[in-house]
Amino acid sequence: MVYDILYFNKHHTSYTIHHTPYTTHHTPHTPYIIHQDFKTMADKLFYFLSFLALLSAMMVVTAKNPIHSVLYLILTFFCLSGHYVLLNAQFVAVVNIIVYAGAIMVLFLFVIMFLNLKQDDEEAKTNLTKIAATIVGGTLGVILVAVFRKAQLGTYNPYSFNSQVGMVENLGEVLYNDYLLPFELASVLFLIAMVGAVMLAKREVGDRHF
Amino acid sequence: MLSIILLSIFGIVVLFLGFQKSKNILLPATLLCIAIAFAANFVHWNDAPGLYFKEMLFENRLTMSFSAIVLLSAFLVVALTRGFADDEAAQPAEYYAIILFSLVGAIMMIGFDNLIMLFLGVEILSVSMYVLTGSDKRNLRSNEAALKYFLMGAFATGIMLFGIALLYGATGSFNLTDIRGYVGTNSFSISTLLYVGLLLVLIGMLFKVSAAPFHFWTPDVYDGAPTVFTAFMSTIVKTAGFAAIYRLLSGSFEGIYNFWWFTLAAITILTLVVGNITAVYQQSFKRMMAYSSISHAGYLLLSLTAMTAQTPDAIVFYSLAYSLATVSAFGVLMAVAREKSVQSHENAEDFEAFNGLGKRNPLLAFVLTVSMLSLAGIPLTAGFWGKFFIFGTIVERGNLIWMLIVAILMSAVGIYYYFKVIIATYMKDGETGALRVPPFYRIVLIVSTTLTLLFGLIPKLLS
Repeated sequence: MVYDILYFNKHHTSYTIHHTPYTTHHTPHTPYIIHQDFKTMADKLFYFLSFLALLSAMMVVTAKNPIHSVLYLILTFFCLSGHYVLLNAQFVAVVNIIVYAGAIMVLFLFVIMFLNLKQDDEEAKTNLTKIAATIVGGTLGVILVAVFRKAQLGTYNPYSFNSQVGMVENLGEVLYNDYLLPFELASVLFLIAMVGAVMLAKREVGDRHF
Repeated sequence: MLSIILLSIFGIVVLFLGFQKSKNILLPATLLCIAIAFAANFVHWNDAPGLYFKEMLFENRLTMSFSAIVLLSAFLVVALTRGFADDEAAQPAEYYAIILFSLVGAIMMIGFDNLIMLFLGVEILSVSMYVLTGSDKRNLRSNEAALKYFLMGAFATGIMLFGIALLYGATGSFNLTDIRGYVGTNSFSISTLLYVGLLLVLIGMLFKVSAAPFHFWTPDVYDGAPTVFTAFMSTIVKTAGFAAIYRLLSGSFEGIYNFWWFTLAAITILTLVVGNITAVYQQSFKRMMAYSSISHAGYLLLSLTAMTAQTPDAIVFYSLAYSLATVSAFGVLMAVAREKSVQSHENAEDFEAFNGLGKRNPLLAFVLTVSMLSLAGIPLTAGFWGKFFIFGTIVERGNLIWMLIVAILMSAVGIYYYFKVIIATYMKDGETGALRVPPFYRIVLIVSTTLTLLFGLIPKLLS
């Protein structure tokens, strides 16, 4: 069981980068070769999730109906949670579903339904803006693709790797020891956000009614 | 370090003070809080530089100086809010609490040693600014400015976060010291992720300090926000932002100076040219100050591009000079515009508002003149020495003299639009009748002007 997870993790780094030695030649002397069928399954799962994530992310941007857009965004979040599980980050995967796919997206849906957006309200962009945006976005895309193609990610030793690293227990220990100060100061951020939201949304005497 | 904890607690205390019937205690309480934080900031002044909270925060004399500048400008700006909350059913307790909390973010940005602290600090400061920009709820322009700032700022934060993720992917650590170690030991095989990560983080930070070409939000937001918070934004956010960029570049990426200096140089030149040339064409004083703040970001970037041993001192002095002059300029604008907006609502913040100010209130005219001279960099003011030290670092670097030439040309352009204000003050005839200024205002303006002149005469005072 432990071997499965180890192998699976070690191998996972090589999905995204096709220049690491692991994918280019599967060395037969590694002890993991017995898990060949598992590898292919994880491989397939990874490609399936990536394909679905990219497709639904594209649909978020291109969908005409805002509600469809939000539903595709939920699908994207589920795919990302799948990736987190593949990366051995189980806690993050669950939190991602509860917080993003659950709470925030439902909020989005409610807001969009309340606002009752009409399709012809869209502001028309000039062709110049569209061309400029395409060039700028495309440049960034080309740079990122080029970088990820060349990048060599660090590898790690599968024998000393702790497979429980993504569990709540380990996460909590790190959070409350090493990252105690940022953890506490994040509450300041949330307090500001809450105070600000109440302050801006509160109706005052003489305020106009919408 | 101590001031972060104190300010977090004080913010909550001020929130609870808002429950009281009388709102008069809020301003003195807030000023007292900032003063205590200012004093607590210097507790470790004589200690050796150190890392605190499991290498989350770094503290040395430089970070303490930056924090001191931020707290001093916050004190002056908060003192100018007197009377701001009286005239409407506003919630001053919330304003003051958010201001105190935002200072926590600013100090986190100044002394971060972990990229998570940088991100949290930037977010705390930005979210407070979004709220304060939109605090004038019944003003449509304030609403628009807040929404614009929020959307663009959130996008910039996203880009910065992506950059931090890439830096982590390349080095395996969020820690500045570890990243420095990675850059130092792998100088021939640095992962390409690191370069892109650094650029994306820089883009996010440069957006926050409004360097061109990420400056498009600045004029609208500075113009739409209530003037007090414009003053707050243009002093504290800028100082903290530059402290953070300096800390990032000097703390981790000095080893790859050859990689980033040209990017930064190009952005610097663009910022200087765009800021100064566009400022010439502005009719509104507030918009002119917005473009002038862009140009001052350019001068500060100039020193970061040089990145010599003198750079930190130059940035500290320049930030101080710029903050003092900006606070007094906006203070005068608020005094004049308030008087004016009682009579008519239109164009209360144009240059014409200052017409004849020299006769109506000589003190205000003098304060405005000194602050404009300081921003333009005329001798005998702090701004002159600020520019002098900044240009000194460029000379020290040696091969960047062409940037110095551009910067000097652009400060000549700057003199033109700053003098437009002085000319309106003394040469043009406007309304007559003395302009009354509350005594509290007068004290703040006199203090900031005195400091400007003092540092102009004796620049060694700060070292």
